[in-house]
Amino acid sequence: MTLTDLGLLGQPLLAVLAFAAAVAVTDQRRSAVAGTLNAALGLAIALTGIGALLGQPGTLTLGSPIPGIGLLSLAPDRLGGIFLIVVGLVGALSAWFGVGYAHGASATRAAWAAYPIFVWGMAIVPGAGDAVTFLLGWELMALGSTVLLLSEHASRPQVRSAVLWYAAMTHLSFVLLLAGFAVLVGHAGGASWAAIAAQPPTGASASLAFALLAGGFATKAGLVPVHVWLPRAHPEAPSHVSAPMSAAMVKLGVYGLLLLCTRLLPEGPHWWGIGLLLLGGASAVYGILQASVTSDLKRLLAYSTTENLGLMVTGLAVAMLLRTAGQRAVADVALVAVILLVVSHAAFKTVLFLGAGSILHATGERDLDRLGGLARLMPRTATATSIAALAAAALPISSGFVAEWVLLQSLVHGDTRGPGADRVIAIALPITVSLVALTAGLALLTFVKVVGIAFLARARSESAGAAHESPATMTVPLLVGAGLVVALGLVPGWVASGAAYAVGASGVEQVGLGGVALPAVTALLDPVALVLMAVALAVPVAVVTARAARRAPRRTVDLPWGCGGVRVDPMMQYTATSYAEPLVRVFDDALQPTRDLDVTHTTESRYLVRAVAFRQRMVDQVERGLYQPVLGVLEAVGDVGRRAQNGSIQRYLGFSFTALVVVLLVVTW
Amino acid sequence: MTESLFAQTVATATGLLMLTAVLQVWRRSTDASTKLLAIQGAALALLVGAIGLAEGHAELVLIAFVVLAFKAVALPWALARTIERSGIHREDSPAVNPVSGLLAAAGLATLAYAVSRPLVALDTGPAAHAVPAGLTLVLVGFLVLLTRHRAVSQVIGFLVIDNGIATVAFLTAGGVPLVVELGVLLDVVLVVFILRILSARLELAHGEVDLHDLRELHD
Repeated sequence: MTLTDLGLLGQPLLAVLAFAAAVAVTDQRRSAVAGTLNAALGLAIALTGIGALLGQPGTLTLGSPIPGIGLLSLAPDRLGGIFLIVVGLVGALSAWFGVGYAHGASATRAAWAAYPIFVWGMAIVPGAGDAVTFLLGWELMALGSTVLLLSEHASRPQVRSAVLWYAAMTHLSFVLLLAGFAVLVGHAGGASWAAIAAQPPTGASASLAFALLAGGFATKAGLVPVHVWLPRAHPEAPSHVSAPMSAAMVKLGVYGLLLLCTRLLPEGPHWWGIGLLLLGGASAVYGILQASVTSDLKRLLAYSTTENLGLMVTGLAVAMLLRTAGQRAVADVALVAVILLVVSHAAFKTVLFLGAGSILHATGERDLDRLGGLARLMPRTATATSIAALAAAALPISSGFVAEWVLLQSLVHGDTRGPGADRVIAIALPITVSLVALTAGLALLTFVKVVGIAFLARARSESAGAAHESPATMTVPLLVGAGLVVALGLVPGWVASGAAYAVGASGVEQVGLGGVALPAVTALLDPVALVLMAVALAVPVAVVTARAARRAPRRTVDLPWGCGGVRVDPMMQYTATSYAEPLVRVFDDALQPTRDLDVTHTTESRYLVRAVAFRQRMVDQVERGLYQPVLGVLEAVGDVGRRAQNGSIQRYLGFSFTALVVVLLVVTW
Repeated sequence: MTESLFAQTVATATGLLMLTAVLQVWRRSTDASTKLLAIQGAALALLVGAIGLAEGHAELVLIAFVVLAFKAVALPWALARTIERSGIHREDSPAVNPVSGLLAAAGLATLAYAVSRPLVALDTGPAAHAVPAGLTLVLVGFLVLLTRHRAVSQVIGFLVIDNGIATVAFLTAGGVPLVVELGVLLDVVLVVFILRILSARLELAHGEVDLHDLRELHD
């Protein structure tokens, strides 16, 4: 029995145990028991993933009462293994965090019972060996997350609207996938991946299947323009749920795309890659732009997820284009970059969402404009979140830097002029480089804002000033997650080799102390050596500075006269909104913010101002332009439909009777 | 049982079934409807028994007695008790007047005969000619459901539909297995009980049992 077999068997057992514990254990101890069991489930999933990544075969099949149709057939391959590790670790950290975090409405019987369904559903998707199991896992995942998302609906009305959006979009995704798989399975005559890959459709039906499946996966991945559920659902879910939703669940959309483009339909026309590139590029730029001007912390993180998923899909699209052009070595580097982005984003986004949860727990606030000065009051949360923000801004010694570095390597080393280049690549690659660069710049601004406004300076509200550090059950998972982010950034060689192994790419080597080398594009990155070098440079500078400082005595300068006012007041600090103001002006046309400025004058004179109120509201332009008209039409149709229903049993019976008589008449004709 | 006697019995039974169904549409008294239902149940039992004797199935004869016990005695008795307790002996304000009701029933019977032509053509025996009667029962039962407001009348309409389904099943399949028939009967009994409880609750809540009151449940 291999590690994979063991893990596959352990998952359902632990899931059932966690479910039973959630139902049976009393209110006081439910979070502790169910949270621990869910964390164990996460670890079992991660172990399965390690086994699968190492190439150990493992299967789990469950029959169904209907002969010939299996209910569940799990056989993870290496690509699935990477995603299982991601899902497992994210699930484990979040459930562990939930032990201390979940309380009240988010720690009810229903909420903790839905958690293992959600986590196990996420593990079924990358482990599935056929389309039926895949869809089953997809729906379990949707079901569990919807119940969890609903958990706080009683206290906040906006949760209900978020759930409606989420449920509608997730069903759209499911319907598209169902139709797409139907095309593939109908052509291959079997539902297993091997059967589909052996007999892929060609021509128009292949393109139809690709468009349907890519649409379904893009909806789950939260790409523009089907991202609308994401900035609603992630903020409204409890933080130990938004973390796995954002760090693991949306990633399965990328898994689906990878499965589709590298295994099921590897040979496709040019426009598939171009379409994905457009989707990915638009999502990356639009996501980070919205994030940079948002002051709601969790909404900001949700938009940043759209950005990161956009980058992953961009990498995949570039790999497809390069592969079509025959530049396999560079295409492999791009694929490795996609996996590195997946792993890195999973690590740092978990920490960021859990950190936001810790802040929410301590202050009750998630509006950056009302936070501030938390670094002193919540040192552990601040440390972990800042490290994760480094990765989100793709700065060195973090996982994000390595991932974006590899992506950029593949982009700049793609041959745009030589014999292997075609016109599309010659145009697409330079534009993509500039898009990624713009995204990186905006991400830097965004996460400087997060750390600077939330943790530095002084508290902007009483609740932020009265904050306290969260208990160890919450801060330890945060610090473990931050440790993973740094480890991925310092010794990326291991993960890069694993990623290359998962996507079957050659040309990735380990060098030095866990560094990564890409011989195909003649590039090399050894973060440990870089850190040592930086230390070697910094030590003399520090020594010289210290000596110089000792010579000059310390002077304190006091303000002689403050014009009768206080020198600094928390009100005078930069807020998240004012920090983003220049950006809002630059991108005014794209964002179209609505601003209200109310000036109240004193009653004595209208030349004296008593108060100034400034309000700025961002409306998602995609939502306003694309969804509102569609929703309007649907609502009109619904109103007409409502007239047919008046609640009278006779009328409903009449409908069936009329239908029966009409059918009989048609048959007789 | 001789061939002609069998044909006569089947014709009588199906005629009774049709007649009782059509009379359901005409009569507005719930007491009369219950009696008609009992006669209909007895006619169904007669039909089943005749088929059983003609084809030599002992099991079918047994089923005939079960059908007689339930559909001709037990269920009508339960309905009569409900009517007794609720004190509603007349269906007021039916949606269509008796004349249009009868016309509609005639139209439905025509439709049933037209639809079941291929079924009749399959077999030349007297039993096959009775298939349209079963279909007519289903359609007329539906009509009763549609045009009556009282909960008791709804139960009666439902039972007429069930009798129709049973008739078609016995005539075309040469009888259904005992287990299936028992299962169906159990379902019917359950439905009647649920409707009885429902009507009792409705009466408690509203003072009378009119399905129009259920419209208040609409959002």
